[in-house]
Amino acid sequence: MIDIKRMFSRFRRTPAFIGFTLFVFVLVLNIVVQGPAQFFSTRNLNTLFSKNMPLLLTTMAMSPLLISGTLDISIGIQLGLVNVVCIMVFQEWGVSLYVGFLMGILASLVVSALCWVLVSVVRLPSMLASFSLIYIVRGVNILIMDKPQGKVPAEFYKTYDSLIGGVVPFSALFLVTVLLVWLYLMRTKFGRNIYAVGGNPRNAFAAGIDPVRVQFQAFMIKGVIAGLAGICLTLMTASGNPLQGEAYGLRALSACIIGGLGFGGWGSMACAVFGAGFLVIIQNTVYYFFNLLYRLIPGFTVTSYWQNLVSDIIIFFGLLMTIVTAKGQRETLKQGFVKQFKGGESVAE
Amino acid sequence: MYAMRGIDKRYDAVIACQDASLQVEPGEIRALLGSNGSGKSTMVKILAGLVKPNAEDILIDGKPVTIHSGLDSRRLGIATAFQDLSLIPTMTVLDNILLGNEPKGKLGMVDRQQSLADVVALLDRFHIDCDPDAYVQTLMPSMQSMIEVAKAVFLKPRLLLLDEVTAALHRDEVELIFNVLRELKAQGTAIIYVTHRMNEIFEICDTATIMRSGQTVAHVSTGEVTLDEIVFYMTGQRPDTEEILETESLDHDGRDLILDVEHMELYPKVHDISLKAYKGEIVGIGGLEGQGQPEFIRAVLGLTRPEEGTIAYMGEAVHFRSPADAVRHGIGFISGERNREAMFPDRSVGENVFAGSAAKGALFKYLTAKVVRDFAQAAVDKYDIMVGSLDHPASSLSGGNQQKLVVARWIAMNPMLLLLDDPTKGVDIHSRREIHKILRQCADEGMTVILSSSENEELLEIADRVYLFYEGRVSGMLSGASKTPERLVAAMMGMTRENNGATKEIEPA
Repeated sequence: MIDIKRMFSRFRRTPAFIGFTLFVFVLVLNIVVQGPAQFFSTRNLNTLFSKNMPLLLTTMAMSPLLISGTLDISIGIQLGLVNVVCIMVFQEWGVSLYVGFLMGILASLVVSALCWVLVSVVRLPSMLASFSLIYIVRGVNILIMDKPQGKVPAEFYKTYDSLIGGVVPFSALFLVTVLLVWLYLMRTKFGRNIYAVGGNPRNAFAAGIDPVRVQFQAFMIKGVIAGLAGICLTLMTASGNPLQGEAYGLRALSACIIGGLGFGGWGSMACAVFGAGFLVIIQNTVYYFFNLLYRLIPGFTVTSYWQNLVSDIIIFFGLLMTIVTAKGQRETLKQGFVKQFKGGESVAE
Repeated sequence: MYAMRGIDKRYDAVIACQDASLQVEPGEIRALLGSNGSGKSTMVKILAGLVKPNAEDILIDGKPVTIHSGLDSRRLGIATAFQDLSLIPTMTVLDNILLGNEPKGKLGMVDRQQSLADVVALLDRFHIDCDPDAYVQTLMPSMQSMIEVAKAVFLKPRLLLLDEVTAALHRDEVELIFNVLRELKAQGTAIIYVTHRMNEIFEICDTATIMRSGQTVAHVSTGEVTLDEIVFYMTGQRPDTEEILETESLDHDGRDLILDVEHMELYPKVHDISLKAYKGEIVGIGGLEGQGQPEFIRAVLGLTRPEEGTIAYMGEAVHFRSPADAVRHGIGFISGERNREAMFPDRSVGENVFAGSAAKGALFKYLTAKVVRDFAQAAVDKYDIMVGSLDHPASSLSGGNQQKLVVARWIAMNPMLLLLDDPTKGVDIHSRREIHKILRQCADEGMTVILSSSENEELLEIADRVYLFYEGRVSGMLSGASKTPERLVAAMMGMTRENNGATKEIEPA
């Protein structure tokens, strides 16, 4: 019991705590609004995972970048790139779709390396550099595939939408795999270096770490995860579209911030998962909430834009809460300093 | 044996080091001393691999080496503890100490169990009472300083560099560090110790290298020199501790008291500072760098709120909520950090001069280019400031002219009280003279000027009275006949005279 208490108090101090609280809050809300039986049905859970895996993975791809003190908002349109490369390789070269997947991940790695050159080597502001990359990648997408087309063989997307053993959504495998690999990486030297570089590049350099190299590794990890996100998007839509996915970039960034990731050295992959989970569940909740309203109030109809408005307002308050809480934590810390300092002085007297 | 010879480092026209040398043997603790801008920090940074010198000749055991990165420095057995700390605030104590030196375990993972035991033993050795899993940013600054030293010692270096690490520490904490240093010395570690506390040099150091204006001026053995001699080497002045703390013998001719600060406390840099400034007076603030001068000025301006003490401005107790509030009350502020704090580099010279007044006027008042131009022209003419064309961007001016421009802007607003924080930093001698002339002219017209400067000559030249700060306290106040270079140096080094006439250092807090 004491152990659990101590673990909780330790967890409370981690950056993931705010994101976790928000996530649990909306999750409970969702279960109440939708009804527990409905929510926990395997069908519903499967849809939740398979429809939202691209966003979840994109957010997870963003987090190593934020931790190492940089970012890439063109991540969204890069999903579109992976999508068109997968489809076109499969369709035009007549090879297996697996080869398409590999080429898609490769394309994602190339764009990541380009972004790394602009941000870490040339030292352009990461926001501007990746913003301009959006247009470059979009142009490349259209060069590769001029209009939406292509088809994914049924066995692929059926597998993606299936349940393993009738219980576990297949798409959840992506999430679990990335999480496990990430957990391993965090226990290696790289896991320390990435936080050091994000926290303070100069001091990391003084400790013998090459910040540019560590950021390259972060970009490569992001490339692989974004590639997987693109594959999920391909399997989910089962076709190619050069212009899709762009919105994922900014949504992933806001998910990271809501989850508690800071710009540089603060936060963890858990923050990304909780943040993305919050975004997903809040939209789900609002959808079912409006459904409830339709049933309760006869003759009540609004367009779906109202649902977006309501969920976006809630997301805004989530962001606000993260920022206010983080500021509160800092203030308490500062007051703690002064108290300790004065206490120390009176002892000296 | 570590030796550095013929070290040159220039930042544009500013010379940080010129033909400097430094040598340390195993089992030797060598003090590296120098006044403001003497280049001692540059020497440390060169050895730590953070600064690349223009000319270098670094030898280890007679063999030449090059240090181009923190990694090179570590590989050569050098560990550094920095004054401004090299800890990553968002990481835990454990991760910080291990950073770059993690023990390898299974599958390329970091062996946390092994490292935890090592780090706990290390923290015990320094008597640091903290949780290894605590984030560094949640710890007190003094504890962070201790961890910074412990982290460097943990690397088991052959050469340990300590750059003013004791500045934030209490006396008993310093003693703990000294005990470890003595152990390391006995084990044959070479140690270079940078400090401004003179008593520490005689307590712990065997030898001392003294730098002045980027050059090495003396290598001495601490057993054979006196404190006065060391200060002489550092500053070129013999310290004189006579009358450095005269009180209330000011000849202010019944002039109004403009600013009266009593017992200001501002954690962690300012401890009990009292300062008075009278109408039409130029008050200087001097001392070694980092003794609380900028913090004091920013607290007067309302940028930070002091924890204790009162500020009276024109006879009324005030607490400015923000610098804008202070400006409304007729206070001007000029910073040495021109680009960061004082200038709009891409706007034109005229607009820069006008900027301060624009902030004062009505927000939506219609402005024509002519209003801005005439205003700027009048200010420029009155104080004879050569700024080239008023239409060119401010960044096209030289550093000295940029600073004159900032001075002109504030003078044009005719403030009651003008605060300057090291305004002539990196400014050429000619522009410096002109700025001095303008300030004197303003003071004669009744403006009160408070000028903080890192250069003693400047303070002696222009200030009517000089306050010297040492470790966040006023260590001396000089005016009139007592305003001599010798006394200024003594107060700057925190030296005071005991009853028996022997000089000693003011006890740090």
